Amino acid sequence: MRGLTREPPLLLALLGVVALVLAFIVYPQVQVVIAPGSDGYAAFLQGGTWVTPLRNSLQVVALSTTTAVLLGFLYAYAMVYTDMRWKPFFRLVGILPLLSPPFVVAAAYILLFGPRGIVTYGIFGQTPIIFGLMGIWGVQTIAFFPFAYQLIADVLSRSDARMEQAARNLGAGPWQVFRTVTLPLSRPGLGAAILTTAIYILEDFGNPQLIGGVFTVLPTQAYSLISGFGDFTGAAAVSTILLALALALYLAKLRLDGGRSFVTISGRASSMPRPPVPPGLSWACFAGCLALSGLILMVYGALVVSAFTIAFPTNITFTTTNFQFVATGSNGDALRNTIVFGTVAAAVSAVLALFAGWLVQRGDWPGRRALDFLLIMPAAIPGIFFGIGYLTAFNQTWLDWVDRGWIIVLSMIFWNIPVGYQAAVAGLRQIDRSLDEAATSLGASKLRGFRDVLFPVLAGSLRVGFVTTFVRAVTTLSVVIFLFTPPTTVATIRIYQLVNDLNWGGATAFTVADISLAIAALLVFALLARGRLVLGMARG
Amino acid sequence: MTPQLDRRAFLKLIGVTTVVAACGGAATGPSAAPSVAASVAAKATGRINIYSALNESTNNELFAAFTKATGVGADVLPLAAAGELQTRIRAEKGNPKADIFIGGDSSFHDGLGKEGLLEPFMSANASAIATEAKDPSGNWTGWYFGVFGFVSNTDRLTKEVSGKKPKTWDDLLDPAWKQKLVMPDPVKTGGGYIFLATQVFRFGKDEDRAMDFMKKLHPNIAQYVGTAPQGIQLVSQGQFVGGPNWSHDILTEKAKNPGIDLTIPDLTGFEIGAVSIVKGTKNLPGGKALVDWILTKEAGELNVKLSNRVSVRKDVAPAPGAPTLDQVKLVTYDRAWAADNKERLIKKWQQAVGL
Amino acid sequence: MASASAAVAPAVSPAHLRVSHVTKRFAGVTAVDDVSFDVPKGSFATLLGPSGCGKTTTLRTIAGFYDPDAGDIELGGRRINDLPAHRRGTAMVFQDYALFPHMSVRDNVAYGLHLARVGRDERDRRVKDTLAFVGLTGLEDRWPNQLSGGQQQRVAVARALVIEPQVLLLDEPLSNLDAKLREQLRVELRVMQRRLGMTFVYVTHDQEEALSLSDWIAVMNAGRVEQAGTPWDIYYHPRTAFLADFVGAVNLVPASVIAIEGAAVTLGLGDRRITLRPTGPTPTAGSEVRLCVRPESLLLGAAGSVADGAVVLPGTVVRRSFLGDAMRYWVKVDDREWIVDQPDPGAAAALDGAVSLILRPERAHLIV
Repeated sequence: MRGLTREPPLLLALLGVVALVLAFIVYPQVQVVIAPGSDGYAAFLQGGTWVTPLRNSLQVVALSTTTAVLLGFLYAYAMVYTDMRWKPFFRLVGILPLLSPPFVVAAAYILLFGPRGIVTYGIFGQTPIIFGLMGIWGVQTIAFFPFAYQLIADVLSRSDARMEQAARNLGAGPWQVFRTVTLPLSRPGLGAAILTTAIYILEDFGNPQLIGGVFTVLPTQAYSLISGFGDFTGAAAVSTILLALALALYLAKLRLDGGRSFVTISGRASSMPRPPVPPGLSWACFAGCLALSGLILMVYGALVVSAFTIAFPTNITFTTTNFQFVATGSNGDALRNTIVFGTVAAAVSAVLALFAGWLVQRGDWPGRRALDFLLIMPAAIPGIFFGIGYLTAFNQTWLDWVDRGWIIVLSMIFWNIPVGYQAAVAGLRQIDRSLDEAATSLGASKLRGFRDVLFPVLAGSLRVGFVTTFVRAVTTLSVVIFLFTPPTTVATIRIYQLVNDLNWGGATAFTVADISLAIAALLVFALLARGRLVLGMARG
Repeated sequence: MTPQLDRRAFLKLIGVTTVVAACGGAATGPSAAPSVAASVAAKATGRINIYSALNESTNNELFAAFTKATGVGADVLPLAAAGELQTRIRAEKGNPKADIFIGGDSSFHDGLGKEGLLEPFMSANASAIATEAKDPSGNWTGWYFGVFGFVSNTDRLTKEVSGKKPKTWDDLLDPAWKQKLVMPDPVKTGGGYIFLATQVFRFGKDEDRAMDFMKKLHPNIAQYVGTAPQGIQLVSQGQFVGGPNWSHDILTEKAKNPGIDLTIPDLTGFEIGAVSIVKGTKNLPGGKALVDWILTKEAGELNVKLSNRVSVRKDVAPAPGAPTLDQVKLVTYDRAWAADNKERLIKKWQQAVGL
Repeated sequence: MASASAAVAPAVSPAHLRVSHVTKRFAGVTAVDDVSFDVPKGSFATLLGPSGCGKTTTLRTIAGFYDPDAGDIELGGRRINDLPAHRRGTAMVFQDYALFPHMSVRDNVAYGLHLARVGRDERDRRVKDTLAFVGLTGLEDRWPNQLSGGQQQRVAVARALVIEPQVLLLDEPLSNLDAKLREQLRVELRVMQRRLGMTFVYVTHDQEEALSLSDWIAVMNAGRVEQAGTPWDIYYHPRTAFLADFVGAVNLVPASVIAIEGAAVTLGLGDRRITLRPTGPTPTAGSEVRLCVRPESLLLGAAGSVADGAVVLPGTVVRRSFLGDAMRYWVKVDDREWIVDQPDPGAAAALDGAVSLILRPERAHLIV
């Protein structure tokens, strides 16, 4: 604490972050949480309609998180440790599922794997039950493994090769090294991955809505309470239940962590390469990644084909008419806004997340734990509530001069801050404090030390925050539904409109355009970043 | 009173009032519309913010026509989800941004009206409309109907159900339909609930019989979907054979895929599409101008053309392929009762089908 | 008998770094317990002790990484307790070098100057000179992971030196290097320090390092300074058994004081009586003391040797060990094993069996 008071800029920065968190995470949600009032809560809880969705939600979270993290870990391991080929390709495919604007991608799954799906029926003659729990499980596993993959790959890429070499040296076989050295040392990343993935799955609305059928989970229940009943208080009560679950997950993660040291970057540099992975394993990884990529590409491929045909699969005449209005009028504005909002939100969110992560992980001041939770909490708030919260909180006459676009950007920044924040904290746990101290010893204030030393070394975590925020900002519907205005409309709103218009051709064409632009933007960012920041970009 | 009689009486009422209105308006003739519009335009200027739950393909042309007719500019916030728009308007009440709320079933407007968030206004043009289609306190006015129908995939229908289209909803209990139907989820969609409530009204508010019907129907339903359009899409793709859904949407899809068909079974439900002025509007004359205009024949015809919906005005022809109102048998739909008992009925349904 | 004092107070130079009654506690454990010492300007001071004795904690408290629970730290006459760590005028060299992995050697070394906003030309010049000083010219553009351990440590030292701190703090900087390199760098560090005239505070658990490098040593144990003084003092006049044992090999023989006559003390070792003129505090007659003799202070002769004015004890060689520069014998005298180191083993045949242990009376020290 004394350290803070001795460095006023640091204290100011900390207060600034706290103020931002209070203004843009806590305050908008307070309205939502207190909306029902104790009577409303009592009535809702007694009504008991939340019991089945709660049970369903827990089921879904348990199943989907397990498989998504498993898949993410395998993918991360394959990317960071093995020397399999085509890594840039796999890196892109590994992010693709995150680029999933609402409705259309889930619809593509049904198209391929539904009761008359092209693959399931057309090729295998099966009519599986894709709707309900099974479908949700499958789609969520694919949709969310990229979170786990990003977080784990980030941590693995900073693993200390010397420890693994040492273990090999002592006679451990590759599997033993993995089990006793690699795995335990990747615990910060693993913990962060599990927590983040679980909370996002808990909050997932789009997939259960499309594929769940009557299998209701808490977010879909909240949505239908608003959409079907106009019952805001009931929906707010559901949102609070979700928050409580997120708190429980967070506390569980704390217990698991145990606060041990996972330092792998100690400022004692080593050029030691990793022990080689057996070629058999490399090939197995390659095959696995290829299969997974094939699946993902099939889904997006169906999308592209839909966009270029009149009515896939019944009418497969090639056409470009679906694209006719992609760039016109409000649609063009929407695409532009989407990319601009997404980029700004991603940049600010990533940096803020890193800075906040540093303040919490390296800091020593009262209330640290509370801030830690607050920075993870947004992940548990369903998008609609985040949006409603912002709408109510900032719909003040004295704020009317603020461009609504900024409100949307702010909502994206803070709704997505948990991922970058988790990545930063996990990364910081790997970096020895002696690096901080060396900088201090040479005359750097704590803030300066953060800027000059930790920030560059954590480039990988920054990238995780940036990419996931960008991708989610570009594909979220629930948050923006309540915040957009005609000049600040975004792609997802347009897609929603087209879908409701039964204009599936137009919707898929727009989705394809949206995803293509997002990928192009990501490639540009990757190219720009390559110039600076050496570490962390090279691997994984 | 049996539902049949009610329906006839209802139609007669519409017919009579229309005739009266036509007679009343006949004196002034076609020139009445422009002069009314002209006198309105003289007062209304500027722009209005419209929160529209109408289809995307309807919005642009419809409101462009409005601006052309009245000179009032329209800034449209399009979101084909009346529930969300309702919530948004409610959340913005401290600093209202919308002038007009248009589209979506009247129950959404009614809810806002009861909370005092709407500006009552009885348009002169509303006098021709049946009382059921407008709010007595003037908070909202109905201007189109959406009739619930049945979509079927012709190919699979012929092959698997011998081409039998349902004449009544009870026809769907036929075991031939087992696991071949898809319908909007009553919990998640407005259309799904309207279907459920329709059954209740069909049996004269005998809930037990209605739930019994739903229970018997349940094994035939392969899937309850989260959005109504998705139901139509899946039938269109051939993933399912058929299902209850909005007839206007079915017609829209049919134009793209002739392989599906629309039937309207007897005693079906319907929604009343409404328009209302938001309280706190900054351009009341402009809002009124919109309400006036939307109730005109010109607007009605345009809406039919763009969305295949049915106008409240008898003098507006339905879309090609769509039935006229007297060709369909509508159930007596007690809208207020349906809204008040929604939660209870849904729970009952969930219990009945074992969900 | 000279007595070592806690504070070195040389006649001329005032204390440059003064640590007064510093205490530091961690969760109930007192790591540093009322420690005080003065370090004169330009001297090489060492904190020596086993792990856990508090020497690193003391160093880090001086650096400002810890706040003392009690006591003051003064640098150049100024109290620096309230100064943030990055503005104290201290620079630290870490045990694991802590080189910034994302910066080249040149950038690592230039970092402190960069922070101090030194102009580009001067900065480049000083970096170049310092790298030359530590013998790393030509490696400016390498990355830390391309350097050997010794090279990395030199970069760490250069990085700290270039900013010309008032005090350089070194936290066991050589412990990660192999023996040969350690010795070599040790010499270099000492030469550097002398050339610069900079105050160094060095922390180590290696007594050989401490003895060879320092102008002044404070030996710490369990958070307290057991004894501080010159290496010579520490080595030949330890005040406690711990100290005697910690710094170098030693014979610690329990004895009783029979008689005192001026500088001559008669001790009883079992039934034996020997008279010595030991250093150390004057004992009280009849008390139990410990006789402290360094192995190299003893001579071994053939059995039955006679030495004028020296104490001769008969013993038997139990075993011996060839240390390279000396032969170490374990000699049993009565029921006690004495360690004796004989230099230049190649000069004569190794001794075996019955021998005579020869001790000059002034080559002993008493611990009371």
